[in-house]
Amino acid sequence: MTHELVMVEEGDDKRVDGRTPNQMRPLSCSRNVLHRAHGSARWSQGETSVLASVYGPKSGTRKGENPEKASIEVIWKPRTGQIGKTEKEYEMILKGTLQNIIILTENPNTTTSVTLQVMSDDGSLLSCGINAACAALLDAGVQLKQLAIAICCGLTNDGTVLLDPSKIEETKVRAFACFAITNSPLSALSEVTPGSDKGKSLENGIVTSITYGSMQESDFFHCLERGRAATSRISEFLRKNLKS
Amino acid sequence: MEVKSTPSQQPNLLIDQAIVPGDVVLHLSNISTNKIKLGLGLRQDADTIKATNMGLLKHSRPNKYWVESSTKRYIPTAGDAVLGIVIDSKPDNFVLDIKGPNLAFLPVLAFEGGTRKNIPKYEVGTLVYVRVVKANKIMNPEVACTDANGKSAEFGSLKDGYMFETSTGLSQMLLSSPTCPVLDALGKKLSFELAVGLNGRVWVDASSPEAVVLVSNSIMNSEFLSDTQQKIMVKTLLKKIEL
Repeated sequence: MTHELVMVEEGDDKRVDGRTPNQMRPLSCSRNVLHRAHGSARWSQGETSVLASVYGPKSGTRKGENPEKASIEVIWKPRTGQIGKTEKEYEMILKGTLQNIIILTENPNTTTSVTLQVMSDDGSLLSCGINAACAALLDAGVQLKQLAIAICCGLTNDGTVLLDPSKIEETKVRAFACFAITNSPLSALSEVTPGSDKGKSLENGIVTSITYGSMQESDFFHCLERGRAATSRISEFLRKNLKS
Repeated sequence: MEVKSTPSQQPNLLIDQAIVPGDVVLHLSNISTNKIKLGLGLRQDADTIKATNMGLLKHSRPNKYWVESSTKRYIPTAGDAVLGIVIDSKPDNFVLDIKGPNLAFLPVLAFEGGTRKNIPKYEVGTLVYVRVVKANKIMNPEVACTDANGKSAEFGSLKDGYMFETSTGLSQMLLSSPTCPVLDALGKKLSFELAVGLNGRVWVDASSPEAVVLVSNSIMNSEFLSDTQQKIMVKTLLKKIEL
């Protein structure tokens, strides 16, 4: 594979690897990759790749957890080195995201544990992790309310929103945001009847939103809008992938 | 020109299609029948029925809907026949692992003609073929070694043989009628005893170890093969032991 070094000049819209600001890297998803895990998936966005495995639900909750609901345990393992503060932060974010999409009352007093192993990191790691965790939960048959599709956006100094930034781009942007948005559901009828319009506001809701760095309010909403459009594309990819 | 039909006559576009959690399967305001039976993978959300698992949406007239999927774990449902492994024995019941979120309880008296005097001695690790009597999400499922009428009907501990674990989808395929091609092809040449648990456990016993290994391998290979492929696969394996 040959790599081309593209010189970025003033006013040039192309990014370091030749993509346009709205272009994502190639996606790939494989499910049921681990033999012993109850559910597993490997999700890659370009060179970033995360392997997620799900065990559970197993009976019994840890101390301090509510026994009337299922409890979720997340372990994030970096590619090298010990588990530090960033990993703990990712675990917390992922736990919050998954608690909102898993139906917790379905299996009270059980623990479902999700382990994420970073295989390679080239930027947009958190969104890759969330997508891998969702695909692994689907593979395990855990009951979900909706799927959460995640996307990372970077905001450059001149206000351009870059989707799915690579590691080099992440170091150069002014601010950085990661969104997990619910996927758009299919409806059984070809036309959605007037009575169910109320449900539309709940579709494409934001499950998680994390920002690093400082950005204007308008920039945040701009990122969000781009993120929403991207998640619908990722959602279509996921549906096609699940059919096979 | 699109012909507008009344809402209750509009065909459901998602039947036999792959769906993911969150997809709206039914709009209850449009349904003509009063009673709808929901199987695994579906849930009521206000006035819609939504999917909670990914899989194929299936419909059986007049009003049954469910999502067909294959998982490594099992969700206990009343009426299913499963293979459990004894983990512990308490004074009143045996505790079994049935690959579900909770451990199952097998009452010591849940056998045909069971009294306090003739409680079977199941040690830890015994493989038992049982029927799920009660299963809901809050309590541990209850199982029994009798059928619905109280007769023993082949339930009980399985001695000798070999047990292996598969997915729930393969178990359903093995139990489907008409008989699935792999079992048909094996049955024509070999004689063996088979117990299939809907929780993804299969037990095989035959007179010789080669037969047991062959039957187990054929079944494990057949999950994603088509009918003809299954027949060819069995034929190739049988050739290896000159049958």
